[in-house]
Amino acid sequence: MPFAVEVKGLVKVYNHTVRALDGVDLNVEAGKAFALLGPNGAGKTTLMRILTTQLKPTAGEAYVFGLNAAREGSKVRRLISYVPQEMSVWTDISGYENLLVYAKIFNVPRSERQATINDVLESMGLSTVKDELAGKYSGGMVRRLEIACAMLIKPKVMFLDEPTIGLDPAARKTVWEKLGVFKKEYGVTIFFNTHYMDEADLYADDIAIINQGKIITRGTSEELKHSLGGEIITFTLESNAQTPTLRDTLKSMRFVRDIFLDNSNLSMSVDDAESALPYVMNTLKNEGISARKVSITKPTLDDVFLKYVGTRLEEKGRISEVTHMRYMIRKG
Amino acid sequence: MLEAIKNMLVMVELELRRLRHDRTEIYFRAVQPILWIVVFGPVMGSVRAIPTGGVPYTDFITPGVMIQTTTFVSIFYGLMMVWERDSGILKKLLVTPASRYSTVIGRSMASGVRSVFQALIILPIALVIGVKFVPNAAYFILAFALIFLSSGGFAAISIFAASFMKTRERFMGIGQAIIMPLFFASNALYPVQMMPPILREFSAVNPLSYVVDAVRGLIITGNLSNLLIDTAAIAVFDLLMFAIASVSFKRIIE
Repeated sequence: MPFAVEVKGLVKVYNHTVRALDGVDLNVEAGKAFALLGPNGAGKTTLMRILTTQLKPTAGEAYVFGLNAAREGSKVRRLISYVPQEMSVWTDISGYENLLVYAKIFNVPRSERQATINDVLESMGLSTVKDELAGKYSGGMVRRLEIACAMLIKPKVMFLDEPTIGLDPAARKTVWEKLGVFKKEYGVTIFFNTHYMDEADLYADDIAIINQGKIITRGTSEELKHSLGGEIITFTLESNAQTPTLRDTLKSMRFVRDIFLDNSNLSMSVDDAESALPYVMNTLKNEGISARKVSITKPTLDDVFLKYVGTRLEEKGRISEVTHMRYMIRKG
Repeated sequence: MLEAIKNMLVMVELELRRLRHDRTEIYFRAVQPILWIVVFGPVMGSVRAIPTGGVPYTDFITPGVMIQTTTFVSIFYGLMMVWERDSGILKKLLVTPASRYSTVIGRSMASGVRSVFQALIILPIALVIGVKFVPNAAYFILAFALIFLSSGGFAAISIFAASFMKTRERFMGIGQAIIMPLFFASNALYPVQMMPPILREFSAVNPLSYVVDAVRGLIITGNLSNLLIDTAAIAVFDLLMFAIASVSFKRIIE
């Protein structure tokens, strides 16, 4: 079975100057949900546009189910569906008509057309507004209509560029649940770009982080977090409760990787906090130290991003920017 | 091939659906041509300075004014393609199984739908002010078929021009710069014979002249002696423009 997406040494240079992709290698297994994370201008959208046959790479190869995206574009396009980041519905016809036009373009057989359209409208919660002009839809409804459109056919790979941008948390959850069902039912591979860390964390089977046109790291959410090294236990101590020997004693324990002491806070990074905690507590007791508070934190995907990209993802600014752009487009 | 034709028809259907929801643009665009035939026609006609071959001047310019408006419609259709590039519509269309050329040609032909309605709306007003049409339904159908076909070519010109433009604002100016020369250097308002020699030669390659000539023959004078040449010219123009637009379409995407 070939990979759903296979990319080898992919390079894309715009106008002989801007190196959007700088040698990307990537495999995505069929039937998985794959998230590509990265800051602005990292090359996420460019990679997706090459895979969806819109752009030709400057160098390297990109395959979708073994078909070359640059040379066998028309075959690739029969296997995929795509939701671009920008608004992509006709605002001067109804939601139903939008889907009808695409159903015809996608060659959905006449006998199944109506049922298919009503199906996807239902699953995106748009049944009640299907006959209203898409221009009257809210931003979130437009996004759901676009995702509904990508579900009209049962594609082998769905390419979603920031699929839930501008949706409120409840709507995001619903959309991902529906996408999850869709994926499971039809074995669809979902390849998506996102700015929402929690979304990648919860819904992606596999995550890659891209920065400056290169894939920096790759793995499941757990693997990525684990690569930062286990868990962190933090004690808030009674003031001046430290003893000179504390640090050395703790450091001598084999499961303690690192210790940070500042004022009344004592933090240590360990592989497995739950099994380490009793031993550490015991040691503290023997030293005659009592702790007021204990907390265990796990590295988040945010921390992973911070480590590999060097900055946190500017989620808020970026999202309002895209939402605004989509709003402007909608208003014409 | 069959699939390409089907895709083109879907684009035409899309346009019909849009029109069903909102026709205000057509009404507003009708203001200018109506002024031409209601004000300009009678005033210029009363001067009797233009040899129209025995046809009243307003009757003479009615087809020209109709075609000018439909050309406007088609050319500005390209503007819409630029808008669709800024939005995600074009990107999404390009990722469907529909071939690129069927998307380009289909969108171009769809402008013909608007054009036909735009031309139709002028007819009753022309009738009211006393323009005498050839009373032959078949001629009318043929005339509107030619308007439909030629619109596709003009829309394709604008797709070609749009491929060089990166912003909508720039395109507005370009739209005017394409239409006005085509209109004034054509037989829309005066016979070609009245023009200086250079313009006359330009008019010989001006597609608008052929469309006006054919429509005028069909609905005003009933003189069909040029119809074959005109139709052939329109067909060649369409094919040429479709080819150019299909090639230049790549620039719009990237």
